[in-house]
Amino acid sequence: MKEQLEALRTQALSDFSLATDAQKLEALRQQYLGRKGTLTQILKGLGSLPHEERRTVGALANQMKETLSDAIEERKLELLEQASLLPHPMDLTIPGKGVAKGGLHPTTQMCYDLNDAFRSLNFDIYSEDEISSEHYAFDVLNFPPGHPARETMDTYWISGTENLSGKERLCLRPHLTGASVRYLQQHGAPARFVYPGPVFRNENTDAQHERAFYQYEALIVDRDFSFSSGLLLVETILECVFGRDIPVRMRTGFFPFVEPGFEIDMRCQICDGKGCPACHGTGWVEVMPGGSPHPNVLRAGGLDPDIWSGFFINIGLDRLVMMRYGVNDVRLFHSTDLRFLEQFK
Amino acid sequence: MKVSLNWIREYVDLPEDLSPEKLAYELTMRTVEVEDITNPADLVNGIIVGRIEKVLPHPNAELLRVCHVDCGLDKTKQIVCGGINLYDGEVVAVAPPGAEVIWHGEGEPVVLKATKLRGVLSEGMICSSTEINLGELFPLSEEAEILDLTPLFPDAEPGITLASLLDLDDVILEIDNKSMTNRPDLWGHYGIARELAAIFGGTLRQLPSFAPPKGVPNYPVEILDPDRCDRYDATLFEGVTPEKAPFWMQRAIWSVGMRPHNVLVDITNYVMLALGQPLHGFDQDHVEDGIRVRTAHQDETLELLDESVLHLADTDLLICDGHDKPIGLAGIMGGARDSILPETTNMLLEVAHFDAQTIRKTVMHHHLRTEASNRFEKAIDTQRCDQALGLAQYLMMTLQPNAKIVAYGTAQTGQTEKLTIDVPLDFLCVRSGSKLTADDVRNTLESLGFEVKIDRRVSDKHIKDDADQEAFVKESLSKDANMEHCKAEKDGNQDAHDRCKELGLGANQNEMKDKHDDVVLQVTVPTWRATGDISMRDDILEEVCRMIGYHHIEYQPPVITLEKPVRQLRLDRLRAMKEYLAFRADLQEIFTYPWVSDAFLKAADGEDALTAKSYVTLATPPAPDRSRLRRSLIPVLLDAVVNNLRYYESFGLFNTETVFLPCENKASDASSSQSEHMPLQRKHLGIALAGDDAVNLFLRLKGILEDLPRYSGVEPFLLVEGKEQPAWADRHAWMVITDQNNNVIGTMGLLAPMAASRAGIKQSVVALAELNLDDLVPLPSRENQFEALPYFPLVEQDLSMIVDREVTWGDIEEAIGKSVKKLEFIEEYHGEQVPEGKKSLMFRFWLGSDEGTMTPDQIEKARSRVIKKLTYTLGAKMR
Repeated sequence: MKEQLEALRTQALSDFSLATDAQKLEALRQQYLGRKGTLTQILKGLGSLPHEERRTVGALANQMKETLSDAIEERKLELLEQASLLPHPMDLTIPGKGVAKGGLHPTTQMCYDLNDAFRSLNFDIYSEDEISSEHYAFDVLNFPPGHPARETMDTYWISGTENLSGKERLCLRPHLTGASVRYLQQHGAPARFVYPGPVFRNENTDAQHERAFYQYEALIVDRDFSFSSGLLLVETILECVFGRDIPVRMRTGFFPFVEPGFEIDMRCQICDGKGCPACHGTGWVEVMPGGSPHPNVLRAGGLDPDIWSGFFINIGLDRLVMMRYGVNDVRLFHSTDLRFLEQFK
Repeated sequence: MKVSLNWIREYVDLPEDLSPEKLAYELTMRTVEVEDITNPADLVNGIIVGRIEKVLPHPNAELLRVCHVDCGLDKTKQIVCGGINLYDGEVVAVAPPGAEVIWHGEGEPVVLKATKLRGVLSEGMICSSTEINLGELFPLSEEAEILDLTPLFPDAEPGITLASLLDLDDVILEIDNKSMTNRPDLWGHYGIARELAAIFGGTLRQLPSFAPPKGVPNYPVEILDPDRCDRYDATLFEGVTPEKAPFWMQRAIWSVGMRPHNVLVDITNYVMLALGQPLHGFDQDHVEDGIRVRTAHQDETLELLDESVLHLADTDLLICDGHDKPIGLAGIMGGARDSILPETTNMLLEVAHFDAQTIRKTVMHHHLRTEASNRFEKAIDTQRCDQALGLAQYLMMTLQPNAKIVAYGTAQTGQTEKLTIDVPLDFLCVRSGSKLTADDVRNTLESLGFEVKIDRRVSDKHIKDDADQEAFVKESLSKDANMEHCKAEKDGNQDAHDRCKELGLGANQNEMKDKHDDVVLQVTVPTWRATGDISMRDDILEEVCRMIGYHHIEYQPPVITLEKPVRQLRLDRLRAMKEYLAFRADLQEIFTYPWVSDAFLKAADGEDALTAKSYVTLATPPAPDRSRLRRSLIPVLLDAVVNNLRYYESFGLFNTETVFLPCENKASDASSSQSEHMPLQRKHLGIALAGDDAVNLFLRLKGILEDLPRYSGVEPFLLVEGKEQPAWADRHAWMVITDQNNNVIGTMGLLAPMAASRAGIKQSVVALAELNLDDLVPLPSRENQFEALPYFPLVEQDLSMIVDREVTWGDIEEAIGKSVKKLEFIEEYHGEQVPEGKKSLMFRFWLGSDEGTMTPDQIEKARSRVIKKLTYTLGAKMR
């Protein structure tokens, strides 16, 4: 009997160690320790043994029952430790599942970045309708009638009004600057506001020229506002858009609606200043004209230029986006092409 | 405009160690943008001077010659050449092996190699002018003519570079014309030299002065339209010869991009390039009895120098002879028959001042732009005529010693006046944000030709001479603006000054003010800056700032009062909506043009779209079929969908743009003149989804719209069955979006097969939505309320029931929605196991009690109540 038990024990432990999962182990438990299990059967046969022997064998059998139960538990833990959800190792080079692909237009993103920066400086965000009039696009901005500067912005005039003048001659706005006068007329001074939006020019398109593009303007009007304080606008934009030092140069520039006027060029980020088609080979890209609003513009806004002065900048948003990502063709922005737009996450 | 640095150095001494890059940089920063720097010597890189020792026939080719050329090396070179003008002793341009030439003057440069030509070794090439970029300087009179330098340089030393022989080494600055539209003084070398003298501290040399010729008869000149011409000087030269100009003059003119002609024409061009004052020479034999300057008649024509015939307008100004015969278009171009001709012996030289606006109108009207008109239209001062006359007479006397002035006449109807502006020093300091001294400012301005008087007391007399001022304003381009401004400045300045004191400025500004509270600079503007460019103290501020250099002005933080936070709900909500659409709804934002193609208008709205609706249209559209501005975003979305279907099977787009609707009540408004009759402009949202499963696409779109108000923070809107079906929508699957008052504010639906076919969409299914964003009402904050969590667990139940096909999910919701805790649609099924006219609806609901955990019994009872209700009200059967 004793020998029988020993043999059983050896057999059981060997079976347990060969069990490869919890299910098989459970089956083995039934096989050995269940109601009809081998050990149970043996124990049942105890009655036929002589009394003396019965005692020792009984103790032995109980001890063995315990040993086998422990061995099963131990094996169970062992198996759990080795367990995996997968029969084989995962191919770790398979790419992860993509997240939702939707996104904002890169120009919108740039616009929001700038809005956030200017909001943090307590600027209003202003917008104006896209159809404006000659009055606001040129007259109030100190463009004298017939002045060459009017021609630099080839304007889309609205049919039926193209031969009228002033407020009756309507156009898709060729620039945003007229909105500054509307704002000043509506809100007075002091004023701190930005105004983003699309503008339209009737010109031939190429990689650097579009008929529809985005501008972003910022204007501060306050008492005796100095040119040197106006540089705040410039710093804010560059810091916020690029977050690193970009070589820029601020040079004299002529625009009828500012006096003094300047132009800011930044190092071309596409060729890093070496010269490429995007910068016409100069290594510099014009991104921001600006200056102090011309006294006549302030007057048009209903302000006395002897009291109020200010600082203004106008950014070509598309140009800035091109610089941010190294985009070499401005026409892509209005292409509606997802292959392009999906890149800006 | 091109500027030659050698030419500039005629007028000003610049530092020896000044690099072209540094010069270009400083000029760009302070005056005009230099776009490019080139050296004409680079055009003939590697080309050397040779002298032909002997011209021999080629043994194998009749048209070729074998030349022995002394190129200054030990050994004479043998060069095979096909030139027709080869002779012994000729000085020629030689391209040795390794040099770049343009073969026969056409195509890309090629690098020359020593090679055999028809069996004879050729160690280089004898060049024609066009083969070495000099075609404009030495025009070919015949093909296969090589450049013969003997007449110009008979003693040239063989072996030196061609560039040094021709003295081509120079720095040519290419200046962006746009950057000097406001600076008529810069359209000549002398003006640029003046700026460089101011920047680098050099002294500007004086030009030959002009004195009217004495003791010659008067030449009759009459200005019939004094508003358009302020001055006209005619000088008659006898005994002129239209020979070639001296080489230095040809080179100077050529180096800045003009073509040399003959000495008479070249002198006029040279003076224009030097001073910015255009001149014109007439052949006196074609000008009878004097000059008359008058406005053209409507029906007149004039044949121009370029042989085009111009039909004149009554806004054009003409130069006519004494018999009223037109001989030139004032300020733009001379007439064909009357300008300098090869046989001209008597020249009438015109130096005149024309009204800038008149020239500009003619330029625009005839699309005729010349070097002369470019300058006149910027408004030149009348005094420039004197400078031009001085230089022209000097050059004529030097270069045409046999010519004599035999008559001279002048007519003057007005002149550019100097202008004096009072500029308080503290104005300059406060507005620039820099500490400036009166002496600094004076030095800066004087270097630019201004006169400055420093006055220690506040002057209330702003404009020195009212009469002068009036005259200036009359001439000025920006009449109204200046007049208005000058008045305001006269009236307002004393007040403004006092106000500044009262208000008490920021600390920095006070600091700057204190020292020179009462210093006023009386600045007299030179005439060359006084034709509109500079008229007020802000202009003086600009002069000071640009000469300091904007890049040297240091940033000073502004002192700003914060009153309240900026709160702009509508903008914030619009942004939240865009972010929802992009990041939650998985759509890509696109930008579209405001003009829309007729094809897509028809695709969206039917074949009669162009006539059935009215549009705001462009007078000069980007393309003939894109004159209409969008009334709706549907057509532009279709366009975008078609674009992307080429590369993608399924995608989602959104677009927020303005739509334009013609102003309806235009007629009634017309009475109130000079107001803006704006078209209706609305901001719309458009969404387009493309894919292959119609029902899924529709439901996805519906889901995006249903959740939009909550995620965007706007008042909820409803999606309901609509009445007026849009032309583009599928009749079985479209809805309208309504606001809380049941106004329709948008539509959504599947694109109908007919519209898809018109748009050229074949396989894919498209779902579209359009919503008027102006009608959305932004909520001031979050509106939704917290819901308490259920105290006892809810029990989830699934049901699948067969109902009539007409029964909607809405009916089910209505029937049982209130008797369960939550109800969710799972799917609708039509198929084999479902009888005809029926459908299977699968849904899930949750049961629960507020009193305790439900027992199996209670659950079973509640479940059968739901089933009974559906059976009873909707005839539903368990599947």
